[in-house]
Amino acid sequence: MRNDLDLDAIIEDYLLGKLNSQETEAFEQLRLNDATVDHKVVSHKVFLHTMEEYAQQLRLKEQLDIFHSEIDVETLSSQLGPHPSRIVQLWRRHKSAIAVAASFIALSFVSIYSIQHNSQQADKFVQLSKNVTNAVKTQNNLIRKISSDNLPTNKQSNPGNFGGTGFAVSTNGYIATNLHVIKDADSVYIQNSEGESFKVKVVHRDSEYDIAILKIDDKHFKNLAALPYTIKKNSTGVGENVYTWGYPKDDAVLGEGYVSSKSGFIGDTTQYQVAIPLNPGNSGGPLLDNNGNLVGIISGKETSAEGASFAIKSKYILEAMRAIPQDSLGRKLTVDKKSILSGMKRAKQIQKLQDYVFMIKVYN
Amino acid sequence: MVNNGLKSSVPTDREVILGILNNSGDTLNKLYKAHFAMILQFILNNNGNEDDAKDVYQEAIIILYNKVKEGDFELSSKLKTYIYSVCRRIWLKKLAQNSKKTGNITDYEDVFIVDEDVEHHEEKDAAFVKMQSALENLGEPCKTIIQDFYINNLSMQDICDKFGYTNTDNAKTQKYKCLQRLKKIFFNTIN
Repeated sequence: MRNDLDLDAIIEDYLLGKLNSQETEAFEQLRLNDATVDHKVVSHKVFLHTMEEYAQQLRLKEQLDIFHSEIDVETLSSQLGPHPSRIVQLWRRHKSAIAVAASFIALSFVSIYSIQHNSQQADKFVQLSKNVTNAVKTQNNLIRKISSDNLPTNKQSNPGNFGGTGFAVSTNGYIATNLHVIKDADSVYIQNSEGESFKVKVVHRDSEYDIAILKIDDKHFKNLAALPYTIKKNSTGVGENVYTWGYPKDDAVLGEGYVSSKSGFIGDTTQYQVAIPLNPGNSGGPLLDNNGNLVGIISGKETSAEGASFAIKSKYILEAMRAIPQDSLGRKLTVDKKSILSGMKRAKQIQKLQDYVFMIKVYN
Repeated sequence: MVNNGLKSSVPTDREVILGILNNSGDTLNKLYKAHFAMILQFILNNNGNEDDAKDVYQEAIIILYNKVKEGDFELSSKLKTYIYSVCRRIWLKKLAQNSKKTGNITDYEDVFIVDEDVEHHEEKDAAFVKMQSALENLGEPCKTIIQDFYINNLSMQDICDKFGYTNTDNAKTQKYKCLQRLKKIFFNTIN
């Protein structure tokens, strides 16, 4: 026991370098010869090293504790701790994220604005009523003079300047067209495929769906035969072949294409987008499918995209027609029945159709 | 926004490293005060209190201190980021140990990986904990004699006077007896 303690003392002195050179040499010799001694030296070295580091850490901690005691932790905590207000808390936590989000939002507003600004310029919707040129107008007047003398003479000095297309929705002279065609009109005339003009009055204006119902108010007008087309109540699928017959010029023009989208101008769900090249004057024309069902009224097109035209869905025609006293309509459009145009070739269909589609002439 | 009064005295990263290498208590003091608020904010807002902040922060400072002393500290990032990263790592571990939620940690600074440094420290710390518990188990007067000699660097003469031994040889014998017991406890627990 005593020897052990002495050995420990010597080992420690050896490790701390307290032995003189002779003692060191002697001890190292002992270490070489005695593995137990050597093991004790190594383990004591480890122990002393750990103890030294432990002591250092304790001293460092002590020092840090002194520094710490000089900090006013309480005040700091009240400044930095979770704030009672959730909003302040959120702000503190996410202020960098909020800043990023805010600048992003600001940026998107700017870009959206500029996109809109651009598209406002580009996607102008043109209503396809036409500004009838004076030259054509003169000719029209001439035709009217020959065919009918109920044209007021003063119209020649104040020639009509807008035109469109309309189509019969009953046999006794109710005509549907676009409201924008006849808006601002002092007087409205229609002209059939034979070139006969009839004075009409506007009996219903539906500004929501851009539909107007006109009534022929002319003693020369004779009731039409039964309407060749029927009206379709349900929507038509994209891809369905459709055509229109209208008056972009003084002679009627056939336009054929297909329904290209179930929504119209800027996503307007009351309209279809149709791929039919159209021109001013087509407005108000009937849009029919191959089976002779009326699926819409041509209403306009997009200026920036060629072939993107729009048609108001047929169910809104039905709604507009409900505004008319039903018994005064006589034999009107029938809903979802098989049309007599069904199964006919296009040329034959047009032949049947042409008597029911009119040029609308507006004087103001 | 933090520690307005202290900000002016924040030493540069270079100053801190030189200060630690030269055992400058003043530099260490300034370093300590410069970043405590940052860690306090982090801990307080992540399920901790002031004491947790103190413990974690001091551990991080010790890790930095030892790393600089060992000479393998490369100033690849800001010291502030390093301290924050170390604290964050330690605190996440503590939260996980207490099975508190760690999913939604609120960060205030950039973070980089310091797992190795923290683990290295933890290994050392485990040895210190064993040393401490060995000392606790030693009982008096051995504990105080050992602490006075090895930690407080008192001479055998001081210890002899303090404990009223008749001569330093008696004190020395007592010390070695204590040391033997301590080593026994220490090495038995360490393995």
